Amino acid sequence: MNTSVPLAARINAIRHLTEDTALFTLQLTERPRQHQPSPARFHPGQFLQLSVAGAGEAPISYCGFPSSDGSIELCVRKAGRVTAALHETALGGQVAVRGPFGHGFPLEHYAGQDVLMMAGGLGMAPLRSLMLALLHQRERYGQLTLLYGAKAPEALLFRHELGDLANRKDLLVRLAVDRAGECPPGIPSCRIALLPALLEGLCIAPDRTVVPLCGPPSAYRFLIPPLLERGIAAERIQLSLERRMQCGVGRCGHCAVGTLLCCVDGPVFAYSMLKDLEGAL
Amino acid sequence: MPLFILPQTALEPFMERLRTVGELHGPLRGSDDAVRFSFLQTGDQPDLTAVRSLLPPKKYLLAPDETILTYRPAAGYQTPAHETGPLILLGVHPCDLAAIAYLDRQFLADPPDPTYAARRKRLILIGNSCTPDNNCSCHQRPSALSTNCDLFLYQQDNGFLISVETPHGERLCQSLGDLLLPAEDQQLPPSSRSNFGLPLPAPSANELDAHLPDWQRLADHCLGCGACSVCCPTCSCFEILEFGGLDGCSAERLRRWDNCLFKSHSEVAGGHSFQKDRAQRFRYRYRHKYRGYGQLQGVPSCVGCGRCRAQCPTGLDLRPLAEYLEKERP
Amino acid sequence: MSRPRLAIAGLTACSGCQLSLLNCEAELPLLLERIEFQFFPLACSPVRIEGCYDAALVEGCCSTAHEAELLRELRDHSRLLIALGTCAAWGGVATLRNDTPRKELRRQVYGRHPLPDDDVPRPLSAIVKVDAVVTGCPPEKHELLALLGDLLRGNLPVRGTAPVCTDCRMRENLCLLQERGMLCLGPLTLGGCAARCPSLGVPCEGCRGPAPEANVAEALELYCQNGFDAMTVTGRLRRFCPEWNHDQRA
Repeated sequence: MNTSVPLAARINAIRHLTEDTALFTLQLTERPRQHQPSPARFHPGQFLQLSVAGAGEAPISYCGFPSSDGSIELCVRKAGRVTAALHETALGGQVAVRGPFGHGFPLEHYAGQDVLMMAGGLGMAPLRSLMLALLHQRERYGQLTLLYGAKAPEALLFRHELGDLANRKDLLVRLAVDRAGECPPGIPSCRIALLPALLEGLCIAPDRTVVPLCGPPSAYRFLIPPLLERGIAAERIQLSLERRMQCGVGRCGHCAVGTLLCCVDGPVFAYSMLKDLEGAL
Repeated sequence: MPLFILPQTALEPFMERLRTVGELHGPLRGSDDAVRFSFLQTGDQPDLTAVRSLLPPKKYLLAPDETILTYRPAAGYQTPAHETGPLILLGVHPCDLAAIAYLDRQFLADPPDPTYAARRKRLILIGNSCTPDNNCSCHQRPSALSTNCDLFLYQQDNGFLISVETPHGERLCQSLGDLLLPAEDQQLPPSSRSNFGLPLPAPSANELDAHLPDWQRLADHCLGCGACSVCCPTCSCFEILEFGGLDGCSAERLRRWDNCLFKSHSEVAGGHSFQKDRAQRFRYRYRHKYRGYGQLQGVPSCVGCGRCRAQCPTGLDLRPLAEYLEKERP
Repeated sequence: MSRPRLAIAGLTACSGCQLSLLNCEAELPLLLERIEFQFFPLACSPVRIEGCYDAALVEGCCSTAHEAELLRELRDHSRLLIALGTCAAWGGVATLRNDTPRKELRRQVYGRHPLPDDDVPRPLSAIVKVDAVVTGCPPEKHELLALLGDLLRGNLPVRGTAPVCTDCRMRENLCLLQERGMLCLGPLTLGGCAARCPSLGVPCEGCRGPAPEANVAEALELYCQNGFDAMTVTGRLRRFCPEWNHDQRA
């Protein structure tokens, strides 16, 4: 499969989520070439390479529900050259995408399981994609829980959706923020605490719970131990790693995690694969 | 595998004939006494006894700097046109051939890299036997050396014994027929290749010890100059860069050789590096070279060419460390 | 696409960096079409600093109160301020004698004649916030054009980290340090110049300033082993950048 050439896409919608983060809805405007997969067909947890001409390419997690109409949702923080350029691109502007790359969350193993999603900061982006997929076939899964932590109430992503999500009877949502701030209207109450504190009082059945986890690199060290203490096995914890994926196909060498390559072996890994791997966490 | 003899006196006409097939390149000794793979014009004498060239033949497959995509608003991103027509690389040593075989596994696997694939397709490889020196470790380390070439020249007293390795090589030989003598009673010399291709044992406990002091010692002496990786025939990490044209809309995307001993190698947007210490990066480099990663996990990529040893300004060498760790294996 | 407004100015320097830009003759017509050179005293009739610039490109180090004032003014009027060339980025040759007190230098050069006050020459970042650096003495043409290409799009330039050695080896040069025993600063100097000098057999003088990951301590030991005394090496290092961390092993 040829994934080397980015395909043109148009920015169809921009929704500002926080000061430096926005949700971009892209529409493919170029058909995949011969032997080329469509970047719009993906599994939650996979990523694509987003090009802004003249700035370059950056790996971005899929954030939306895999749709068949060729639209792609990406939640992007202004962090480097490419993402800054994306934020400068106007509605209707042209970008390009190639992908999908890597392995996403192993949804096929989630059937009948309780799914405890834990997101820190921008880690909410790939987990939103997973959550939308789970809710789409809600009946296939057991209890669904979302624990989401951010720096401050105003840094919470997808505030416009959190209220509705929290009101659902079939999904438990708990939010935490590091420090107090003005809680925007419509948001369910959030605790001033670190993310692991949201596990308190939560009823977890370790042998039928899977934990998709996504946060900044530094977060995993304090997110994982409390889960293990609760008796959740290492292979039931799946985390998405951030690395410098450039080529996306295991060649440029930048995204090595010990002896694995984040772009082809990940970015979603079972914790059991990573725990003894030097430099992984 | 058919064998022929090419007398020394027929080397010149042999090369002239090759020039009719494609662009001929081979090891050429410069006025500075250094050997480089270069274009061989009529009259140029390739140095077929040189131990090693400064850069390995990987430069013919992955240029130090190359455009991989161009962007125009109307056309979007496009792969640039690739050079075509055969390019004959004469005098490639077994280690460098093994290195090309390794790169092939990496760059021709699905999905094949278009630029690499186009360059590889036009390459005709003519191997050449050699005598290792002190920097070489091809005869000590098991590495998957092969005669990954179309023809292989074994140096003999008065010429070369040629073995035909591929159908392509066979066709080439047919067109050279009148220059070659049949090698009736000749046998292939006992090959230095017999050592190669041994399976790699599992890493020893020592090797997995992240705190082995040698890493820090090596790292302290590393200038971070990048020579070892530039001259390595299997180092193929590359950085991707994009430059915008002055018209404000066109752009060009390049890739450039990169080095895992640089901190920037693992740096993500925002500046976080996953390999902050040079000692960490050294260990990573060692593990990759001797243990492989990703799809080629377990496949060592050091072919023992000795370039990194020969070219390190401070004389750093991963080999003694590898040998030490091998020896310590229970 | 709106044309970015640029200010280009020089402080204490030879104007070579600005000239390098003017030497891009083939590209000048296109540049004039795409970019508004609003303030460029070297090339256009003098105008005042006014309005808002998308970027100010400043050459040279800052060595007088007047220059500091000009620099601050440019900073105030510009969204981005870019240090153009080694003097602006590191101090450059004007800082060569920064280790000697100013008063003493004045006496040595001008005797007892009174002179207007001057400051210790410093790189731009000592005075104002610098958004990006394009180093070199002068910067390479391709770097200047890449910078302008980036400014056209509102991007900041990508900065490499590899030293000159990497460029040099890529060009398949014989190592002057290793094979010819020359005092070549290639391992310590930021690359991007395609190893211009070593490719001609001239050792690297360090004109592009320190490579961020340079192992300075080890290089100094190596030069010493090769028979160069510390004075010679330090003198050579200081030629383009006064501030080296001699203990850095990065």
